[in-house]
Amino acid sequence: MIFAVAAAAVIIAMLLALVRAFAGPTLYDRVLAGNSFGTKTVILIGVMGYLTGRPDFLDIAVLYALINFATIIAILKFFRYRTLSVSMDNRDQPVFDEEAR
Amino acid sequence: MENDTVTLAEAATLAIDLSLLTLLFLVAYQMLKSRHLFAVVMLSGIYSLLSALFFVSLDAVDVAFTEAAVGAGISTVLMLAGMLLTARREKPLMPGRAPVAILVVFLVGAALMYATLDMPAFGDATAPANAYVGLQYIERTPNEIAVPNIVTAVLASYRGFDTLGETMVIFTAGVAVMLLLGAGSIKGGRQVKDVSDDGEAQQ
Amino acid sequence: MWDLIRDILSWALILIGSAALVIGAIGLVRFPDFYTRMHAAGVTDTAGAELIVFGLMLQAPSWIVVAKLAFISFFLFLTSPVATHAVAHAAWVVGVRPMLGPDLKREGDD
Repeated sequence: MIFAVAAAAVIIAMLLALVRAFAGPTLYDRVLAGNSFGTKTVILIGVMGYLTGRPDFLDIAVLYALINFATIIAILKFFRYRTLSVSMDNRDQPVFDEEAR
Repeated sequence: MENDTVTLAEAATLAIDLSLLTLLFLVAYQMLKSRHLFAVVMLSGIYSLLSALFFVSLDAVDVAFTEAAVGAGISTVLMLAGMLLTARREKPLMPGRAPVAILVVFLVGAALMYATLDMPAFGDATAPANAYVGLQYIERTPNEIAVPNIVTAVLASYRGFDTLGETMVIFTAGVAVMLLLGAGSIKGGRQVKDVSDDGEAQQ
Repeated sequence: MWDLIRDILSWALILIGSAALVIGAIGLVRFPDFYTRMHAAGVTDTAGAELIVFGLMLQAPSWIVVAKLAFISFFLFLTSPVATHAVAHAAWVVGVRPMLGPDLKREGDD
């Protein structure tokens, strides 16, 4: 019973994070909403595994927790340096994206 | 009490499926409506996440792995890299109506939905997809391959050449995308600059 | 007896974690400025996720599930605050500034 309550709460929280992803004025709001959505997905996969009686789904949750973190850092790095391979000597001058507001 | 908890889990799973489909629909609608390309990229990542959740709910664990890793991870970053080379906003659409197009889409959709009424039930053991070769794989895997996951046995052993071909295709696609996005230059990343006044392209 | 204690404890942890997630998401929608929204989302995401994972750990059917949940909780504990900080730092470097003092406006003000 408690797993159904937890799943409902996580889905409501996902819907609210989606509202922020639709309406965020700056793009960093959208990145924040995407990160938040990813963490809630990890929790929902775990709870769904318990709800259907097969907690072996946790492998996907582990995978997704790793990928979510790497994706958010990659997106932010792209917006700051415009490339994924930053050489160590020009790291102090970020070429950031002025139209990104 | 035992009967109550079983039907509660089933009802909860059904409710979760319906909410996931509703969220998918909302995200897709917003992706079509939005003109700001970065929002579309983030929303496509969220769409892939919701698809992965839906696959978990349908018990397709391997497909959910692939969808989460490829759709929400790599695809989002690659589309972002592509978007950074172009513009930030999409040009507004011309207002116009195409009634014939919408009619054709509705008719084809209705025909497809009518055709699905003839399909066998989900997971039916006597369906043609599950009865001939599928049954052989299920019966012979514990003796011949001895790997607990039958999907892994099919992908890696029974249909191994198919997997080899797919790996080559994905590798070629990855190399092509990296070259298009400018990872081939020595400094890394392509500076998107205009041609200078005397007609020579600057680096 | 141990089953009852375990059930009550895990129910309490999952309920508090879910409440934290929902409250954080409400804050993400309603707060007026990017940095306040980040405060709501970052803190409650990590706390709610950890509490729910601890509650799930108490109800686990076997030790391998406990090990996987422990790994998830350890990883979320380390990387969720780092990701929040990275978003804040990226926004600061670009020039997004918080609403302070006389700039503080809400909808309906004018």
